[in-house]
Amino acid sequence: MHIPDGFLSPQTYLPAYAIAVGAWAWAAKGLRDKLDETTVPRLAMLTALAYGLGLIMVPIPGGTSGHALGVAILALVFGVRSAFVAYSLVLLLQSLLFGAGGITALAVNALAIGLVGAAAAVGVRRLLKGMGDTLSVAVAAWVSVVVPGLIVAIVLGIQPLIAHRPDGMPLFFPFGLAVTLPAVLIPHLIIGVAEAVLTVLVFRYAKARKWPTT
Amino acid sequence: MADYLTPRIWLALYLSGVVGITFIHEPVVLAGLMLGALVFSGSSRWKLLRRAVLAIVAFNLTVSLGYAVMAIWQGNFRGDYLMLVNLRVLLLVYLGFWFVASVDMLAALSGMPVLRLIATLAVSQIKTLERILRDFRMAFQSRNLVRPSLLDKTRNAASQAQTLLDKSMASAGDAALAMRSRGAFDD
Repeated sequence: MHIPDGFLSPQTYLPAYAIAVGAWAWAAKGLRDKLDETTVPRLAMLTALAYGLGLIMVPIPGGTSGHALGVAILALVFGVRSAFVAYSLVLLLQSLLFGAGGITALAVNALAIGLVGAAAAVGVRRLLKGMGDTLSVAVAAWVSVVVPGLIVAIVLGIQPLIAHRPDGMPLFFPFGLAVTLPAVLIPHLIIGVAEAVLTVLVFRYAKARKWPTT
Repeated sequence: MADYLTPRIWLALYLSGVVGITFIHEPVVLAGLMLGALVFSGSSRWKLLRRAVLAIVAFNLTVSLGYAVMAIWQGNFRGDYLMLVNLRVLLLVYLGFWFVASVDMLAALSGMPVLRLIATLAVSQIKTLERILRDFRMAFQSRNLVRPSLLDKTRNAASQAQTLLDKSMASAGDAALAMRSRGAFDD
C-alpha cells in the first residue's frame, strides 16, 4: 500500500519526517538491548519476509499499490518498537533497490504501516487474546492492513487541497478523498484477509519453535 | 566515484537533491535536471533509466490514465500536470537508483550501527530467499513435463514456504553466531 515517490508535497513529507525521526529514536532506544544471537536471526528472517511480501504488489487505480505487509507478524513477535524499525528498513530497501515507495514518502509510509500498523496489531491482539490465538492474530493482522490503508488514503487524498497552483491544478497527487478512500480501502479489506491467513501461519510456525510472542 | 565523495557526502547530496526536486513545479526545469542526471551518471545511464522506467510505469500509468479520464470528464484536463508529475517521479527514482549504484549503502549507514546490523542481515536474508525461490522454481519445472495441477502447485508452495523459513532462520543464525564471535553484540 505504500505511497510512491513524488506524489507527496513537501508540506506533507517534511513534517512527517520530523515526527518519524522522533519515533525512530524512540524505537531504536531499547532495540540494541533486545538484539542477541537468538533474536537477530528471527528479526532478520521476518524482515526479509516482509520485504518479499511487499514486492508482490498490484497497482490500485487510486494511486497506491496492494500487497501483504508482514508488519503484524513482526509486531506480534518483537513488539511495536522493533517492528517499526525493521519495517522502516524494509521500506528503505524496497525504495532504493526497486523504486517501490520512495525516499520522500518513506516517513509517511513508515509511520502509517510500520508504527500505526504494528501498534494496531499488538493492541487488537491484546484486546482479543482471550478469544484464542487464531482469531486474535487473524483480526490483529487484518486491522494492521486496514488502518494504515485508511491513513495512506487520507494523506494522498488531501494532496490536491494542500498543494495546487492558483488555477487549481494539482502539483502532486491529483485525486481527492472521494476517490482515494474507496480506491485504497476496498482492496485492502480483502488484502487484509490474505494478510490474516499468512500471519496466522507464520505465528503458528513461531509458536511451534517456542519463540516468545505478545 | 571521486575520492572526496564519501558515502556520507553522497547520501547528503542525494537527500538534498530529492528535497529540492519536490519544490520545483516547472516541467521544463525537471526535464533539464533529468537530462543533467543522464549526462553525469556515466555509462550506466541507459541501464538505470530502463530500471527507473520499469519501476514506475505501472503506478504512473494508472495515476496518469485515471487523472486523464477524470479531468477530461470534468473539463479541466491539464497536459502540463501529467508532464510535471511523471518527470518528477522519474527523476526521483532515477536518482535513487544512481545513488545505490554509486554508493555502498552499508557504508553510508556507518553512523547508525543498529540499523547497519539489521540491514546487513536483512540483505543477506533477501539473497538467501531469492536463491531458494529460484532453486525451487527450477526444480518444480524440471519435475513437471505437463502443466502441474492446482493441488501440486499448492503442495509445492507449502513446502517451499516451510523451507524458506527454516533455511532463512538457519543462515541468519549462522551469521549472528559469526557476528557474536567478532563482538558485534558486545557494548
